Amino acid sequence: MADVRGMKMRFLNAKLTSKLSIVLFGLVLIFSAKAQGGPPPGGGGGGGPMGGIGLPLNFLQADKDYKFPDDITKYTANDFLMLVRRTDIRSSFYNSDMSATISMVSVSPDRGTFANKQQIFRRDKDDAFLMLMVEPESRKGQGMLRVDNNMWRYDPTSRKFTHTTLKDTYENSTVTNNDFRRWQRSIDYSVEKLSTGTLGNYKVVIGELKANNDEVPFPYLKMYIETDRKIVLKIEEYSLSMKLLRTAYYTQYVQIGDSFVPTVQIFQDGLIPEKRSQVTYTDISTKPLPDYYFTKEYLERVSQ
Amino acid sequence: MRLIHLKLAARNVRRQPHRTIALGGAVAFSALVMTLILGFVNGMDLAIQDNVTLYSGGHVLISGYTASWSGRLQNRFADDNVAKTVGSTNSDIRTVSPIAQSRATVVFGTREIQLTLRGVDWAKDQLYHDSLILAKGYWKGLENSRTMLMSAQTADRFGLSVGDQVVVRLNTASGQQNVTDYKVAAIYDDGAAGGMNMAFVAFGDLTADLNMKSNEQQQIAVFLKNSTDAEKAAQTITGELSSKGFTVSRGSASNTGSSNAAPSPDSSTNADSFVSSITGTGQDASRHLLPGTTLYYVSTIQELAGEIGSALGSIRWIGYAVFILMLIVSATGISNSYRMVLLERTKEIGMLRCIGYKKKDVFSSFIWEGILLAGGAALVGVVLALPIGFGIGFIPFNPHGDFGAALVQGHLRFAPTLSQLLLILVFVTIVAIAAVFLPARKAAEVVPVEALRKTA
Repeated sequence: MADVRGMKMRFLNAKLTSKLSIVLFGLVLIFSAKAQGGPPPGGGGGGGPMGGIGLPLNFLQADKDYKFPDDITKYTANDFLMLVRRTDIRSSFYNSDMSATISMVSVSPDRGTFANKQQIFRRDKDDAFLMLMVEPESRKGQGMLRVDNNMWRYDPTSRKFTHTTLKDTYENSTVTNNDFRRWQRSIDYSVEKLSTGTLGNYKVVIGELKANNDEVPFPYLKMYIETDRKIVLKIEEYSLSMKLLRTAYYTQYVQIGDSFVPTVQIFQDGLIPEKRSQVTYTDISTKPLPDYYFTKEYLERVSQ
Repeated sequence: MRLIHLKLAARNVRRQPHRTIALGGAVAFSALVMTLILGFVNGMDLAIQDNVTLYSGGHVLISGYTASWSGRLQNRFADDNVAKTVGSTNSDIRTVSPIAQSRATVVFGTREIQLTLRGVDWAKDQLYHDSLILAKGYWKGLENSRTMLMSAQTADRFGLSVGDQVVVRLNTASGQQNVTDYKVAAIYDDGAAGGMNMAFVAFGDLTADLNMKSNEQQQIAVFLKNSTDAEKAAQTITGELSSKGFTVSRGSASNTGSSNAAPSPDSSTNADSFVSSITGTGQDASRHLLPGTTLYYVSTIQELAGEIGSALGSIRWIGYAVFILMLIVSATGISNSYRMVLLERTKEIGMLRCIGYKKKDVFSSFIWEGILLAGGAALVGVVLALPIGFGIGFIPFNPHGDFGAALVQGHLRFAPTLSQLLLILVFVTIVAIAAVFLPARKAAEVVPVEALRKTA
């Protein structure tokens, strides 16, 4: 009898210990999250800056079930934010890897016209990408790698990695490193104002967005989204002083599975309108990529 | 020493002028080259320190980095106690002033240029008022808000003149993009400032552009009475800040006063690599700090001038090597010449010994001859080097070239110290004594009767 009571007590103790463990584990998680910075001041849904803090838990799920209004004049701020989320998801590849060839032509009044070609390998679920310069021949082997919130440039001549950020411009053009990454504007911004209009032949909802935190490069955005296909056609990016810094035009899309990839992107400088770049994606593939592609060792090896 | 030795030595030096000129010329040339090298290296050293002081805004810099809500370090801090503590540490401090600066793209029409924009409190400034020469405009014009002091090089490239409006694009302290307008109020002669290409605006305007609060700053610049005291002052400041609980790193020493210890950067680390060492740049590194944690980094102009300074160190060592080589050649020449002199004067030495000269008198007269010849020649070399050095100082060089930072107003500065000149004279004389020593000893050992018999 005493043995049974003892066993019961041990069983109860074990149950209590396991429950306590769960509570303690939960507390540890909460405090860990707080120690990592927690949500930014002013909300932001636990999302982070362009620096690559993970996606919210229901990021993909909530999108699937969302019903958008049929009439574009009926869009609310929440509807528009969900529309931005839809464009974020559809322009990215969360269920597969992606590789493509990127051709870039940049025009600048100071430097003239220059063109280059890169190969890109993306793993959007990890917010990682690898980019390798293919042309011109003199720059072949140069590369850029983003993984685990870190980003490096590699120069095969000096055999050195240098730290870079998503905010840096790419090759002194109007393109930033951030333009090669997955989109996550619905995490970083909140909707301030909505209107409707037309862009060419397309009816669009125009949303004015404000950054949720002070670490995203562009504090204000104006997004023009076509509601029928739910794709972004144009984005105006503004400075803290509300001056137009850059206009991005997404003129062509290609559907690959569930994704809509903007294959032709034009970026025009807001301060020097004559300065612009065109980025064209070709040879897009969603075949799985080996894990070692997203390592510094591979970039070093493949650049030789 | 007896005067007779000196008189005899002087007579012997004058006796064979051609040999004296040949030997003395070689020694004088060595001394001349060494004086020029030391003088110019010294001048470049001073010029670099002056120019780096202009670049950095002070002799000691205290940079503050605060972890944001996401744990990322941002170059900003808001703590008045830091400036107060720094100000109270050293009596040789002239000024303690806040500094803000940013890499910015300045746009004019369709042209753009990347340069460093520095915020200066014009009301308190002494450094730039004293050091920069305005090519166009007036200091008074910079007291107006949203005005800019630009280098002549940038202004020429853009075709800008006083009164023109430029657009400035920069990142705020947290990394957001911002665009503002400035009016060019004055243009400074960058050739007279070591080829510096920095643009200056009012401190308040720049902190507003950087989206910093009124009590926030990025750096504290300490301007000392004497720049050579910078290392000592930096150590004192580091120690004082640490003792008050601030987390401070400097050079090889890391002084941690708070519980949030920062890893110590190595001695060559500058502020940027200091940040990298905290936040991590390796594939396995994604360290984040607790929001609000502030770290300080103390640097000196000697560290900032390190790279150019080390190049000067190489030049200095090459100079020493050339000097030593020339001295060896001269010493060999002197030694050989005095061996010949010994043969020529054997009869004379014998006669001197016969009339009462002792061994040590003969030895002394030889040594004094060497001292007079080499010392005199070195003095001539040093004296000749002065007008040559100051003359070279008038030749204009490109202030934007590789050694622009080592120039003063586009010219080399010739600044040998008295101790260096004395050292050259003493060193040359010692070498001459060493070279003459053996022939002098042999001369002293000459047996008078034998000498007279052999040369009869």
